[in-house]
Parts: sequence; structure tokens; C-alpha cells
Amino acid sequence: MEADQAASKEAESCIDLLVIVLDTNPSQHFVRQNPQNLTQILEAVIAFGNAHLMQKAQNKLAVVSCSHHATNFLYPLPRRQVELRQVDGQYEAFNLVEKTVKQQLGSILMNAPRLSAPCESLLAGSMSMALCYISRLQRNLAPGVKMHSRILVVTGSNECASQYMTFMNVFFTAQKLGITIDTCALDKTLSLLQQGCDITSGQFLKVTQLDGLLQYLLWVFLPAPQIRHKLVLPPPPKVDYRASCFCHRELIDIGYVCSVCLSVFCKYSPICTTCHTIFKNPGPLPIKGKKKKKTDKQM
Amino acid sequence: MTTSSEDVLLQMGEVRYKKGDGTLYVMNERVAWMAEHRDTVTVSHRYADIKTQKISPEGKPKVQLQVVLHDGNTSTFHFVNRQGQAAMLADRDKVKELLQQLLPNFKRKVDKDLEDKNRILVENPNLLQLYKDLVITKVLTSDEFWATHAKDHALKKMGRSQEIGVSGAFLADIKPQTDGCNGLKYNLTSDVIHCIFKTYPAVKRKHFENVPAKMSEAEFWTKFFQSHYFHRDRLTAGTKDIFTECGKIDDQALKAAVQQGAGDPLLDLKKFEDVPLEEGFGSVAGDRNVVNSGNIVHQNMIKRFNQHSIMVLKTCANVTSAPSTMTNGTNNANGPVSQSAYTNGMNGKGQATATATKSSSDQVDKDEPQSKKQRLMEKIHYVDLGDPILEGDDSANGEKAKSKHFELSKVERYLNGPVQNSMYDNHNDPMSLEEVQYKLVRNSESWLNRNVQRTFICSKAAVNALGELSPGGSMMRGFQEQSAGQLVPNDFQRELRHLYLSLSELLKHFWSCFPPTSEELETKLQRMHETLQRFKMAKLVPFENRAMHELSPLRSSLTQHLNQLLRTANSKFATWKERKLRNTR
Repeated sequence: MEADQAASKEAESCIDLLVIVLDTNPSQHFVRQNPQNLTQILEAVIAFGNAHLMQKAQNKLAVVSCSHHATNFLYPLPRRQVELRQVDGQYEAFNLVEKTVKQQLGSILMNAPRLSAPCESLLAGSMSMALCYISRLQRNLAPGVKMHSRILVVTGSNECASQYMTFMNVFFTAQKLGITIDTCALDKTLSLLQQGCDITSGQFLKVTQLDGLLQYLLWVFLPAPQIRHKLVLPPPPKVDYRASCFCHRELIDIGYVCSVCLSVFCKYSPICTTCHTIFKNPGPLPIKGKKKKKTDKQM
Repeated sequence: MTTSSEDVLLQMGEVRYKKGDGTLYVMNERVAWMAEHRDTVTVSHRYADIKTQKISPEGKPKVQLQVVLHDGNTSTFHFVNRQGQAAMLADRDKVKELLQQLLPNFKRKVDKDLEDKNRILVENPNLLQLYKDLVITKVLTSDEFWATHAKDHALKKMGRSQEIGVSGAFLADIKPQTDGCNGLKYNLTSDVIHCIFKTYPAVKRKHFENVPAKMSEAEFWTKFFQSHYFHRDRLTAGTKDIFTECGKIDDQALKAAVQQGAGDPLLDLKKFEDVPLEEGFGSVAGDRNVVNSGNIVHQNMIKRFNQHSIMVLKTCANVTSAPSTMTNGTNNANGPVSQSAYTNGMNGKGQATATATKSSSDQVDKDEPQSKKQRLMEKIHYVDLGDPILEGDDSANGEKAKSKHFELSKVERYLNGPVQNSMYDNHNDPMSLEEVQYKLVRNSESWLNRNVQRTFICSKAAVNALGELSPGGSMMRGFQEQSAGQLVPNDFQRELRHLYLSLSELLKHFWSCFPPTSEELETKLQRMHETLQRFKMAKLVPFENRAMHELSPLRSSLTQHLNQLLRTANSKFATWKERKLRNTR
């Protein structure tokens, strides 16, 4: 009985923080097909966030929008609050989330610069902002209070090759801090985000029909990471961890790595094109033992 | 007795066994008793079969000696010397002491064999499980198991044996017993004596000099304990005793060891200089003459600690150099300390003793910096990295410093990942991006309108999504593998694992017989084939029947792979046998 009381106290003083990174880039494929799809996705994400708040009174929510030109916090707002009128049949906190998110996103879309060609979404930057937000909340916690944090990325963008290093920094930082990264891919399979989900023990899901997005979110991503091992969830796909060579930017299985600057190449070259190191020629293996030779080359 | 090939070490007449008079013989390998007026030996026990011996307590009218065997039987001998009680006791003590010397040799051999096997099984849980699965169920005999499957462990064990050290409390374990009339009686075993000799080599030398010429064994040990040699703190003042000069000899050995030095210049603390200030700050050279505290008790205690440490280091050095050589007290007391294995080029000069001449000392001192420099060079030298840069070489140092400047070009290649295969294509878009943005803005204006019908999700889409996320859906293809592990109970998993271990061990030996190029391999192949058949009938078929009854979903698929392994081995054996018959014909 005392153990149950201790577990109950533990649950009461524990906070679950969910940060949703929502991709609002007009260049996404499903947005260009039908702009009404973004409205539906927004409604599903808001309903999912409110469902997370409904689970426990101590739960916290944050929504970050990611576009082609900027990253903004949709909820919560730093200073001012949205004026609320009494709405019958809806809990006031949920109404606050809905109004704040919709108002902020409408303002962002109104002031966005005009596009003439598709652009990348700044997903890595948005995830970095989410990590900073979590870190600030972690520092301001009261003594004895625990917080479990996770990031959910909802995106339909393509791979972001130019943000490779930022993505890797985000993934390893999240792993170090114990933050789980979940990804809900709306259009294509994203191998980089798969790597992030894999090393942070998150769930990667590529939805097959956009109409059922809310059902996917509630079924797969609503449970907290601490209890997912008790549920039967979709098995993770096989993750492609291959590196890309520096000369052709292609994924390689076997390559050469410079021991000085760790550049990756698909073909052998006697001189490293990054640090200009001259390598020793790989001659035939000596038949008898090792012979000490004076040489100025390294590898 | 002239026809017997064994030597009679002791013959004792007037000994009774089961109400019969006779003679007791203590021989090389056995103890025997022969009744009077008979030509055959009535009782005979090998020393290997004797577990222990017992004597009747003091004060009893009967003087008896009992031999306890390993199988639980006992033989009791009654000494009935007509000259009286003292003669009876003397007769029995002679037999007892002789048996006490002889029994440990045979006992160690017998116990060692079983102890080794038991230790091997305890240290290797997998081997123990294999023993349970194969030997207890009579698939293999015990001899076959130890000769074939556990041969590697036995060989590994033999190569790793090392000398047993001396327990720090061995003198405290010698507990004297009172013999009833204000006296003390010490029971010394050969192990205790060995420890005393190892700890006090001077005592060993005294024992060699005095026993048995000048005094008997008992007299020597009586004097040893009476002298309190091992209780003293090495105060040399005292009465004249054969052990008094042992302290002096130890002091001389200690001084010789101190003069000998550590031998290795990198390990010699006396050659270290610790200057706390930088050069040029007027620091005085370190004064190594530490002020003596003057307390004689402290000095003697430190001396005792140093003497003990020197003995420990000598033991380690002797074991390293010659493991089979016994510790020789004479050489240890006067000989030089063994040189370190890391001394290069100083092996010849390492033989210098305390009596080295001045010129030899100068030569050693001159060579020490070179030796240290050589060892340091070997430490920092790697074959594939070339020669290390020395500070003395100015021109080479300047040249290499220039080439070591680290310049990176094309740094942006670190920041980019693989090139994406599919760019954003515009061909299929029904409208341009500007129109998309305009429509988004128009839609957002109606987001805050309460009157507009809001659609979260329709029922059909939700049911379809649930269908995909349920077991058997398109997103749950890997689910079947997880559930298979949950269908098998834990005891079945454990037993299946043991079956795989045992079968793999047998198959390893079976397949190692191919190709059977010799008669011995053919015999082993035949034997392994029969062993596999016995394993199948004794272990695999009962498990299969049990799985058939209790695990209805899986049935025989659990042992499908095991049966496949056995079928492969059987077909290989049949093919070989058929080919052999054809060649014979």
C-alpha cells in the first residue's frame, strides 16, 4: 500500500512536456495539391495537443511552426495572452490553445514573403529551438519535480541535405539530454529523421492516408515514451546509417577515411583534398615481420 | 615377506585385530596386518584408500589406532605390548607418526583428481550443463566426456597453475593443546613446516644443520617455540640460543639487499630528485638524510616490514625466473636480487653484488643514462609513425613544424548530407506557389470563425487507420516475430537452449572427423554417430513429445531445425559408409 502511495506521489510530481514542430512550408507536396489540407492538419494537431493536456493536469504543451523563412512559437506566447470569450461546451485551457495557435499561424501566413520556387523547410533550426525551450524549462523546475520531454515533428517536406550537420547536432544533443524525438512523415520517407528517432528511442511513422492523421497521432504518439514498451506499436523500419562521400555526395558502403581530418571518400587518392595530407602508398604486405622505415608520410 | 616387492618401513608385533594376535606392517604403498601362524595377509589397505586415522583418547585402558577408509569402512588395531602401558603408547605413536608422514602423499593425489574435475565444472557453467545433459542421461560415459569434450579445459587448467603463497595467519592457526599436566602440545603438519621454512629461511638452514644429527625433530621444534623467535621484535639481546643468531643473519641479509639496490635505474627511489622550485630560484639540493625519530620500537617495526617485503619480492622473482625451482634459503639470504626484465643491455652488469669494486660502480653509473634514454625511446616509437622528433635536432624540428600547419579547404563538405534524389517538382501542381500562398491566407481568415463547420476526421478514415495499426495490418508486418517469442514458456526456452548447446557440441566433434584419413578417425566417427543416435532417443524425442502435447500452436516446428541438423549428419555418415563399402569391395 505504501508503494502504491509512493508511485502515486511520483506520478503527481512528474511533468510530461510535448513540443510539436509543425511544418507550415507551402512548398510541401500535399499543400500544393490542395491548400485545404494544411487546415485539416492544423485541426488534427490542435486536437492531438489538447488530448495530451487532457491526460494529466501537470502536462505541458508547446507548438513551434517551421516554415521556409522563419521559426516561430505558436503556443505558448511569451508575454501577452489572447483575449478569450466564454465558449459553451469547451474547456477554457483547450480554447486558449486553439485560439492562440490559429491566430499566430494566420499572422505568420499573412506576413510570409512571396515564393516563386519551392524552398526547404528549416526543420533543423526549429528542432534546435525546441531543444532550447526544453532546456530552459528544465533549469527552472522546482526542486523535486521531474520532467519528461519529447519532440514530435509533423512534416511533409523532402530530405534537407543542407542541414545535415545541424540535424546531427540536434540528434546527439537530444540523446544526451534524454529527449525523445518522434516523427510523423506525411509525404516521403526521411532517412535523416529516421536516424534521429532511432538513436533517441523515438517512433518514426509514415502515414499512408492523410485523412486519418488524427487517428495516427492518437494511436501511435499519444502514449508517453515510458509506457510504449507495454504497447504493440508499428515496428521501426530499417535505418540507413551510411555516410556520403565528400566528392560525389553519394551514400557509400565502403570508403576511405582520412585519418587526419576524417573526410570520407569513395575512391583512394594519394592526397587528401580537405587537409592536403600526403598518404603513404599501400604497398605489398611485408612477408617477414615489421621493418622500421624512415618515412615522412602519414596515414 | 622376502617374496614381496614392497619395502617394509615398519614392523610392529603384538598387535591385535578383531580379537586375533598378529603383526602390523607399514609398507611403501599400504598398511597390512598378518595374523600369527598364518602365511597370508589378512588385512591390507592402500594409502590411497585411507581417508584419515584416529587414536584412542588419553586415559583409556585400551591403546588403539583406527584407520578410516574413503568408503566408510574402518579397521581398528589394538596394541597389546606385554611390557606395559608405556610400551603400548610408544608402539602406537611410532605407527601413527609414520602414517602421518606417508598419508599426505597419496591423499593429495587422489583428492586432486576429483577436485580438479569438480573445479572445472564449477568454473564453467556451460560445461556443467553439458555434463548433466550428456553423462547423467548415459548418452556418453564419464571417461569419454573427460577425454574428449573437456580435454581443452583440463589442458588450460594445467598450464595456468601457479605456486600457492603463504597465508598471513598461518602462525596464528597453530593452536597448542594442553596435555593435562601444565604442558603445551603443538601439532605440526608438513604444510605448516613448509610455511615456516618459507617465511624464515634462517630457520630452515638451522633445521638442515641440526636435524637429525644433533637433535631430533621434536626437540628442534620444541626449542623453536620456546625461543619465541617468531614473537620477538628482533631485539638481539637475550640468552644464548641456536635461534639467537637467526636475527643477526636476517639483519645482515637486509643490509646486503639495501646495498644491492633496486637494479633498475627507473625504479630506484634513491636516485630520484624532487626539487620544489624552478631552476635559478636558489633552491638547495634535496637533503636526503631524513631525521631519525630515535624511537627504537618504530625502527624495529619498520625493519620488520621491510624484511617481509623483501621476502615477498624474492619469492615473486624466483617464481618468474624458475617456476620449478624450490625456494632456497641459502641463496636467498646471500644472493643478489633478480634483475628487472625491462633492463636492456644491463644483464651482464646486473650480476654485480655488494662486493662490487669501485671501477665497476663507475661503469654502471656511466651506462645508466644511456639505458634510460633507450627505454624511453622505445616507449615513444611506433613503426607506422616514423621516428619521433627529438629536441636536439633543430633543423629537422623547424622543417617539420612548418609541414604540420593544419589547413582545411572546402570545409562546407562537412556540413552537407547526401544529395537528395527528388527535387520539388512543379509539373504536377495545379496552381503556382503564389496562388497556394494566397489561398492559405484566405483559409486562415476563417480559422477563428466559430460558425464554419470544422472537420477533424471522418469515421471511415479513422477505421482505415486503425486497421493498418492493428496486428495483421500493413504497418504491423514485424509483429508476428515478436509474438512467436511469447508463445513459448520460459522453461521450454531454457530446455531448448540446452538441447542446442549439447547437440552443437556433439556435432562439432562429429564433423571434425571428416575427412576420415586414419583408422583412429574412422573409429571416432563411428562412435560419434552412435552417440548422436543415443542423444536423439534420450533427449530430443522426449522433448519433442512434450512440445507436441503442451504447445499446440507450434507443435513440431520448435524442433524442426534440430532434426534437420541430425538428418544432415546422418546422411553424411551414410554416404561415407556406402563409399567405404564400395572401396572395400
